Amino acid sequence: MSEASAILRDLAQEFDPSHLIVGVGEIACAREPEVLVTQALGSCVGVALWDPRLRIGGLAHVMLPSTSSSAAQGKRHRFADLAVPDLVERMLDMGAAPRRIVAKIAGGASMFRGESGIDTIGDRNVAAVRYQLERAGVPVMAAETGGSHARTIELSTSTGILLIRSYTFGIHEI
Amino acid sequence: MRFDAMSDMQVDALRETGSIGAGHAATALSQLVGHAISIDVPTLEVLDVGEVPELFGGPETLVVGVHVRLLGDIGGSMLFLAERASALALVDLMHARPVGSARAFSADEEALVTHVASILMSAYLAAVGRLADVSLLPARPSSTLDMAGAIMQAVTSDAALRADVALLLKTRFYDADTSVDAYLFFLPDPAGLGVLLGRLGVA
Repeated sequence: MSEASAILRDLAQEFDPSHLIVGVGEIACAREPEVLVTQALGSCVGVALWDPRLRIGGLAHVMLPSTSSSAAQGKRHRFADLAVPDLVERMLDMGAAPRRIVAKIAGGASMFRGESGIDTIGDRNVAAVRYQLERAGVPVMAAETGGSHARTIELSTSTGILLIRSYTFGIHEI
Repeated sequence: MRFDAMSDMQVDALRETGSIGAGHAATALSQLVGHAISIDVPTLEVLDVGEVPELFGGPETLVVGVHVRLLGDIGGSMLFLAERASALALVDLMHARPVGSARAFSADEEALVTHVASILMSAYLAAVGRLADVSLLPARPSSTLDMAGAIMQAVTSDAALRADVALLLKTRFYDADTSVDAYLFFLPDPAGLGVLLGRLGVA
């Protein structure tokens, strides 16, 4: 484990209150110039959709691969097989064109190393998200998945840039 | 069976078990480090896993997490969480030196905190197992230093666990000079919790 204190400064910055925070197991869409944020993706996967012409963005915070993977009650959009189609649908409702929508994904880490079971959920989430995006005909333009670190992501609806922040690697864009 | 459907009597039974486990862990740690360490479990509460990051001021707060899966008669997980500063203070407490001596959370500090958390969790599981007459063993602990929200999600997304609700044992390590707060979460799967409360005779 690397010492993260050097990066603490960068992450300590205040959130811009105009940013729309998407919670765990939630989805949201917005238009330019809104910024969509989801915090602390571990094994979860953040799915960012963007229509570059109308500058409409969508963001999902997916927790589990499919509804069949859990008996527990809870938020519908925790699951890749519901969150991804619903997010695409919501983009279309806002006027986005199906052939223009592109995706970027991040997350799917194994937070605890060296243990069977728990360290495969991130991989399965990434696979499920990719499968659902393919079914919806949405190409994945960039991805930063796996590893063993948490990520916070911010989607700029103006530029389509996905900003990724982590204690391990600081801030970068995809 | 869900935690949030538990009676006061059932919560009391698990709190009492927590105190017994903490006592045993304190004895074990005192032997390990060669000076007296005490541990209290002043409160036990049932909370939604989504609320856990708020205990630390938000999902991005940097915390140390030590996780074990449960093996034996009851499936699920235990998770030890401490803020980075608290984990460093815990290292100082174990070394019987002033808080602030440990500054970086590197491999040695991570190994020591993992060891302490592992002893605490093993002692708690042994106490629960003895009281309820179930076999309850921790798997090998694994640890990380990262965002509180991400750690909690990873644990609750675990294939064996579909719990939305966690049992929190607030835990205080202390000696004459120093006191350190940490959080211990007991997350048996729903079937396991039913078995446990049935065996405790309070279901």
